[in-house]
Amino acid sequence: MTSREKILASIASNKPTLVTLPNVPIFEGDGSIERFKTVLEGIGGTAVELTTKAECQEAIDKYYHDLVNVASDIVKANVAVNLDTTKEILEQVDLAVIQGEIGVAENGTVWVPESNMLNRALPFITQHLVLVLDKNNIVANMQQAYDKLEDIGNYGVFIAGPSKTADIEQSLVIGAHGARSMMVLIY
Amino acid sequence: MNHPDHPELAEAFNKDFERTTWHDETLWFVRQKRDKAVYPVPEFQDLRTLASEIKDHTLSNLDNYLIEFEENATKNGVKVHWAADATEHNQIVMEIIKNSCKVEGRNARLVKSKSMLTEECHLNGFLEKNNIDVVDTDLGERIVQFRNEPPSHIVLPAIHLKKEDVGETFHKHLGTTKGEKDPQILTEAARQHLRGKFVAADVALTGINFAIAETGSFVVCTNEGNADLGVNLAKVHIACMGIEKIIPKLHHLSVYTRLLARSATGQPVTTYTSHFTKPVEGKEMHIVIVDNGRTQQLGREDFRSSLKCIRCGACMNTCPVYRRSGGHSYDFTVPGPIGAILSPNIDLHKHKSLPFASTLCGSCSDVCPVKIDIHVQLYKWRQIVGQANELPAAKKWAMKGMAKVLSMPKVYNLSGKLARGALRILPHGLTHNQSMNPWAKARELPDAPKQSFKEWYEENRK
Amino acid sequence: MKVALFIPCYVDQFYTNVGVSTLQLLEKLGVEVVFPMKQTCCGQPMANGGCEQDSKGVYEHFVETFSEFDYVVTPSGSCTYHIKKHYDIIEQTPAVQKVRKSIYELVDFIENVLKIEEIPNSFPHKVGLHLSCHGQRGLRQANASEITGVRDGQISKLLRKLNGIELTELERNDECCGFGGMFCVTEEAVSARMGQDRIADHLRNGTKVLTGGDVSCLMHLEGIVKRQNAPIKVMHIAEILNGNQP
Repeated sequence: MTSREKILASIASNKPTLVTLPNVPIFEGDGSIERFKTVLEGIGGTAVELTTKAECQEAIDKYYHDLVNVASDIVKANVAVNLDTTKEILEQVDLAVIQGEIGVAENGTVWVPESNMLNRALPFITQHLVLVLDKNNIVANMQQAYDKLEDIGNYGVFIAGPSKTADIEQSLVIGAHGARSMMVLIY
Repeated sequence: MNHPDHPELAEAFNKDFERTTWHDETLWFVRQKRDKAVYPVPEFQDLRTLASEIKDHTLSNLDNYLIEFEENATKNGVKVHWAADATEHNQIVMEIIKNSCKVEGRNARLVKSKSMLTEECHLNGFLEKNNIDVVDTDLGERIVQFRNEPPSHIVLPAIHLKKEDVGETFHKHLGTTKGEKDPQILTEAARQHLRGKFVAADVALTGINFAIAETGSFVVCTNEGNADLGVNLAKVHIACMGIEKIIPKLHHLSVYTRLLARSATGQPVTTYTSHFTKPVEGKEMHIVIVDNGRTQQLGREDFRSSLKCIRCGACMNTCPVYRRSGGHSYDFTVPGPIGAILSPNIDLHKHKSLPFASTLCGSCSDVCPVKIDIHVQLYKWRQIVGQANELPAAKKWAMKGMAKVLSMPKVYNLSGKLARGALRILPHGLTHNQSMNPWAKARELPDAPKQSFKEWYEENRK
Repeated sequence: MKVALFIPCYVDQFYTNVGVSTLQLLEKLGVEVVFPMKQTCCGQPMANGGCEQDSKGVYEHFVETFSEFDYVVTPSGSCTYHIKKHYDIIEQTPAVQKVRKSIYELVDFIENVLKIEEIPNSFPHKVGLHLSCHGQRGLRQANASEITGVRDGQISKLLRKLNGIELTELERNDECCGFGGMFCVTEEAVSARMGQDRIADHLRNGTKVLTGGDVSCLMHLEGIVKRQNAPIKVMHIAEILNGNQP
């Protein structure tokens, strides 16, 4: 008997009688931009409201003018990143500006599917991260987010603020392994 | 073999009064953060109920969901492996590494994000013996790895250490300035050190928080971003999960992602909630599904709901005993209340003191996001320890004697009178002798009244 | 209404006053109370120690003693919880079922059976309430901080209505005192530390009289108060409601 068969047989003989699966409702809630911004700022991110998506470049020039190596398919970039980009090049990226799909007001998180990442490692290896988000795609909570999402694709991540840790004495430190800062540009 | 039991280890922990204060207050602070994150969510209690019921359902159909998960994951191009126990798990992981990275002239390099399962299986030591370099990348885990210690908490692995301790460790291993203890500077040093490890790694290993049967996907939650950084830079991703990590559909995931971080650290969500379905072209993704005692626990009617645990650690943060005895006093991979109901399933003799390392206050059950009745199970494990003749003989016979006395009113009345009489006559030094009477180490005995209530009643009401 | 009084073993032996106050209080509230003389204990100490099978005789004796009554009232949330929750290992005869239903913790009985919301006494002291876990979380006699930030419960409702009373606002409203039955000796170090921390919270926040619904917790806390010579008087809730003064 393989381990697979052993485990499955053991489960079959040990599991209880079938219990009903409950219905998960789509809970209502506050899906306003204001709440999204407040929560995001509470977890160490920043949010900036723009009038149109075209203003992204202006915002990047304003907030990140000191960063040299930029990867993006939305604003001017000087590091070309795609699936084949090597680790050595990815490591040099100071700023990544990519599209976020859904914002969740209850926790300040933004859904980023693989298709928006340029390279799966980019949102994590970049020193700073900017996500661009359509304000009409902000929902109240995670139930609504998954409902809107439908398909999670090959790989996708909800990102909520910059990388952080509190592993030393519970002191919050921003910038553990991933992005040292995270901004959401809302248009 | 005689293991130091929880009372001994807890007593040793309590010898340092200030440090115990600090440990208690630090974890209580996390519990308070959790409260602040939970109270404003109006449906929080509904989510707990849903989370509990979805898991009840899943456990009752677990074999079918695992098969469905395997089918879908396989379709996605992921290789699924099954391990009956820790040994097989470790063997599988080693073989994946040896087969997929043929490195010449050096050891294969593995970066790991947090996985309590691999701690449970003692994977690191096994791989190192087999010439594989293992680097834990979660900051807390890296700290304890440097120190050659097990984690003392499942979410906050280095919570038993103070920043001075971490400073000393980093001075030794990372060359930070001697005496440097600023968490910001120490974290930056770890960042620089680990970035090098991420870039150099051949294989990345992660745990799994949730595995979705419907899609064959799995979800990994971190705050540091170490899981994503590791797997997206390495050629091979190995993800290890206990059989109980399954949920039926994507639709159910939100219930858990809304509960997990709020319960664990008081964050509204972890920084990264990563959903893995298919590997990138040219890379490998493996899932190792592990039993290691879980199906046995599934068969224990009174204890199977312990398999609903989502490893948030809230029961540790809330437990007044854990906060004042530290994770290492449990001497089990998963410490605290949840560990005290999981461990006897693995080794009743070794962990027999753990179900008693509780006042049965019930805070753990009320804080648990999946509503495991932890304190009820602690009580039930106590009975099993008692039935298995694992209680210390003196205690067992005292209990038996007490039970006899208490079922015979006359004997009870007389022994009560004699005991009170003795307490009234004997000198304080004798009744409060600390080696004979542990009560008296920090406490006075109550004054023994002349009359019991019964005697008073007979005199005044009859 | 036939009401019996159950005075737990350690109260009977060491806290005569709590028994007397409970009886007097119930009598003042117009309840005719019977005290069955053959009562001993609910069996909890052994059961929590892992020997519930050995307690069966005690359980049966308890049921035999109390099954003829409509209500069994006791100044202990812990014993009440034990009888309700853990008397499931003996045969569920009508008598057993009746006792498990008729057992009431004193304050619960006053508020929910007698429907009394106020006791017109005066207690002009700063009072710290220790919420005993079995009453609070076991019997749900008070809100739990794991569930809600609103601090409220049966005992505090009655206390608040006493003339001149001031209630202590604690930093940790419902942390366990560390008594825990046999735990207080088998895990002496943690038990003592938990009790010391509770007392410190009360001292920092001005408690002069410490009260609660379970003598067991109070015995442990009083042991610490006395060892530390702390300026706190410990009284059971029955004593305060009965009009006793510190």
